[in-house]
Amino acid sequence: MSTMKTTRDVKGVGVSIPRPDGPEKVTGRVQYVADIQPKGLLHAKLLRSPHAHAKIVSIDTSAARALPGVRAVLTAKDIPHLKKKAPTRAHAVLAIDRAVFMGQPVAAVAADELAIAEEALDLIKVEYQVLPASIDPLKAMLPGAPPVADAGTEADTSEALAHSAVAIAKSEAPAKAVNISQQARLQRGDPAKGFAESDHVLEKTYRVPMVHQGYLEAHAVLAEWDRNGLLTLWASTQGSFNTRSEVADVLGIPENQIRVIPVECGGGFGGKIRALCEPITAVLAQVTRRPVRYVMTRREELQAGMPAPQVIIKLKTGVKRDGTLMALDAETVIDSGAFSGAVLAVSAVFLGSMYKWPSFDIRGFEVLTHKPSVAAYRAPVAPQTIFAIESHMEQIARDLDLDSVEFRMRHLIQEGDPMVNGQPWQSNGAKQVLSRIAEHPHWKTRKQWVAAAGKNGKRRGVGLALGGWLGGLQPTGATVRLNPDGSLAVLTGQVDIAGTNISLAQIAASAYGVDTDLVRITTGDTDVAPMTGLSAGSKTIYTVGAAVLQAAEDARRQTFEIAAKELEASIHDLELVDGKVTVRGMPDKGITLAAIGKKGNLYMSKTPPVLGKANPAFTQQAPGFAAQLARLEVDPDTGEVTLQDFVIVQDVGKAINPLGVEGQMQGGAVQSLGMALTEGLLFDDSGRLTNPSLLDYRKLTAADLPNLETIIVEVPAPAGPFGARGVGEPPIIPAPAAIANAIQNATGARLTELPMSPERIALALVNGKH
Amino acid sequence: MAKHILSCTVNGEPVEVLVQPYVTLLDALREDIGLTGPKEGCGTGDCGACTVHVDGKVVASCLMLAMQARGRKIRTIEGLASADTTLHPLQDAFVRHGVPQCGFCIPGVLMAAAALLEENPRPSEEEIRYGIAGNLCRCTGYTKMVTAISEAAGALASQRSAR
Repeated sequence: MSTMKTTRDVKGVGVSIPRPDGPEKVTGRVQYVADIQPKGLLHAKLLRSPHAHAKIVSIDTSAARALPGVRAVLTAKDIPHLKKKAPTRAHAVLAIDRAVFMGQPVAAVAADELAIAEEALDLIKVEYQVLPASIDPLKAMLPGAPPVADAGTEADTSEALAHSAVAIAKSEAPAKAVNISQQARLQRGDPAKGFAESDHVLEKTYRVPMVHQGYLEAHAVLAEWDRNGLLTLWASTQGSFNTRSEVADVLGIPENQIRVIPVECGGGFGGKIRALCEPITAVLAQVTRRPVRYVMTRREELQAGMPAPQVIIKLKTGVKRDGTLMALDAETVIDSGAFSGAVLAVSAVFLGSMYKWPSFDIRGFEVLTHKPSVAAYRAPVAPQTIFAIESHMEQIARDLDLDSVEFRMRHLIQEGDPMVNGQPWQSNGAKQVLSRIAEHPHWKTRKQWVAAAGKNGKRRGVGLALGGWLGGLQPTGATVRLNPDGSLAVLTGQVDIAGTNISLAQIAASAYGVDTDLVRITTGDTDVAPMTGLSAGSKTIYTVGAAVLQAAEDARRQTFEIAAKELEASIHDLELVDGKVTVRGMPDKGITLAAIGKKGNLYMSKTPPVLGKANPAFTQQAPGFAAQLARLEVDPDTGEVTLQDFVIVQDVGKAINPLGVEGQMQGGAVQSLGMALTEGLLFDDSGRLTNPSLLDYRKLTAADLPNLETIIVEVPAPAGPFGARGVGEPPIIPAPAAIANAIQNATGARLTELPMSPERIALALVNGKH
Repeated sequence: MAKHILSCTVNGEPVEVLVQPYVTLLDALREDIGLTGPKEGCGTGDCGACTVHVDGKVVASCLMLAMQARGRKIRTIEGLASADTTLHPLQDAFVRHGVPQCGFCIPGVLMAAAALLEENPRPSEEEIRYGIAGNLCRCTGYTKMVTAISEAAGALASQRSAR
């Protein structure tokens, strides 16, 4: 693959350029799905199971159907191709004879007005027979626990592959317990011997609850069929081609009869990768022959979205008195909710691969429970895993009186070291980001800062943590067209969920040789765009950026071929300066890009229009590492944490657009600061969510936070466009561990369960007598 | 249910529409008046995406019935700038500082910030943070938002003193 290391002398890569759609976003003119109002629009609502596990005895929809303004009422019986043993959540369009989590859709209504649809839901009578439910994943693993899946349902590992492309050994033995849907075991060396020879053995169990991705725009879709049987979906999605494939598979219709138009996505963070409400909305539109829009409420999002899994990690380590690593033993339980699909492999890899453990035994289990099934959430399972290993590393250093940065640095991997699955680490900046954060004044002066705690009785602490992400890969395509005015049009199918389009335009500008102002980039729908993958796995710039770079180089080559003919010069003697291709050393002998562009669109012209294209596939990942540092105060009476400073150091390979990179670093950090301090979906023993509102599911506000300092490190990725690596996911990874380490520094208490709420901290202080 | 006539002023223009008595101001603005700038992020007043001004005060329009706005002056994100072709200094600062990512919270944040600056033209960082504490943003981490609001406050203040 061609990757350019030098930028041309244009306004392109490496410059902070505000995104061109900014004015549309700040004036409220950008349209999201819920803003689209076609004529004849119907509104959809779903009736959801009030029980975590129940047999559906009967459903009576007659009164709902009779309500004026109701256009359709559907149950599973009305959708003949629905099958039991749904392999994924999307396939379980409506519950057939059994509801397996509270909030699972049981019936669907389309009506002239939303209020009528809501009234119709009240008129549907469902008789349930409540069944015992498996809620706690550890209990769900035990023999005899109430089963979640229909017998014969298979594990779904597609998400794991999409995200991290981590190869991991399949389980050696089939699952014995009924609710274990995936398991894996990775071993090296002789951990028993390692533990026997250790001076210091530390065992702790780390717990992270289910958390919601928290995008402000709830799931939404608009569906309409034309009279030729073509289905159009206006979707809030992170991947239009993936949505098309999934909807086609669920509904049993060919992909070429579906057009997915990716509408502006009001946040995804992994939660809008998989289809959720698209299939049922499409069926409602089909039976009513009207456009149907479905927008989830926030309550529905929290109760029945696709959150991040609950993760429980039992971690045991053995080291020598001087800090030499000897053995690691870990057992990870990932609660996937009612359907399989968690990224089990990531946890194993980051537990054992970041530091060089000579022996380990890592076992992972994905467990099904009667709760909403999970999906990806920005570096899925990585913040949870890093919370465990980075808390643990800090504790070891503390116990042995070692410098916590030196201890980490001594054992930290570098390029070529084997991961737990035997694959070698690719080039990465793990050491660079750790040493950069250790140089920060907040770290160097930590002892003085802690000692200078104020008179208000609050205790001060400073903590840091390191985290990484392997980065996803997916084939992709892009085209670059020269317009008759000398500007460029770039086309991809990549959904811009984070401001990536401006960066792609900058890549095209630098690769072709024009200023970014002359590049316009369009995200096409599935009818017109080159095949493109998900906006996920921190891979948009790394993969689509590479495709755009190659397509722009192709367009430049074609442009030069035309110029060479026109100027009767060798292609090797040409240069492109200020929108004009000239013969080097002869600035008067040249042809403008506009002239070349015009020739490509003249009646009877013999000059082909310039159309660069590239459609690469990828094999080499580019891991991205981030280190984060927190300075905080803890009120020992209330357990309240006040974050004073937060520093994010991240290796991005090459910051294509530093403004956008900083925004990613800050936003990712705050999501996991929420995970660290306030967030958690709280289910009671019956599987009912007890905090289904944004008042009770507490996300961090501006008033909870200080300004976040960002420090960009650039260790070029060998195969990345201009050296760039993935940016989106690494910043969400280290924060919970950094906060836990700072809290221990402040109070002596080691918190092992998220969120580290005032209550938990105050209790730890009382119980531990710190 | 019979619809009622809602007469009010929206972004300086007199508006008269028929609305159901149970609809919220947010739904009336979005569905009946055609202004989709205010967003529904929660419907329960917790996220701030629906923030508008009613008689100059910040209101979560998802918590107010449309008919309660009868005879009152409503300002939405569509009416923040003085003209269609220009940006309000807050909007301009948000664009230049690269604040919007997904953009869904932005109309509400801008309306909250505009009300703050009208009340307190030179807010401290802490006052800005509390001024937008009712607005959840999941993309930005708020840092660039606070910087942009602070800068716009300065620009607005010098505009005022130049007058």
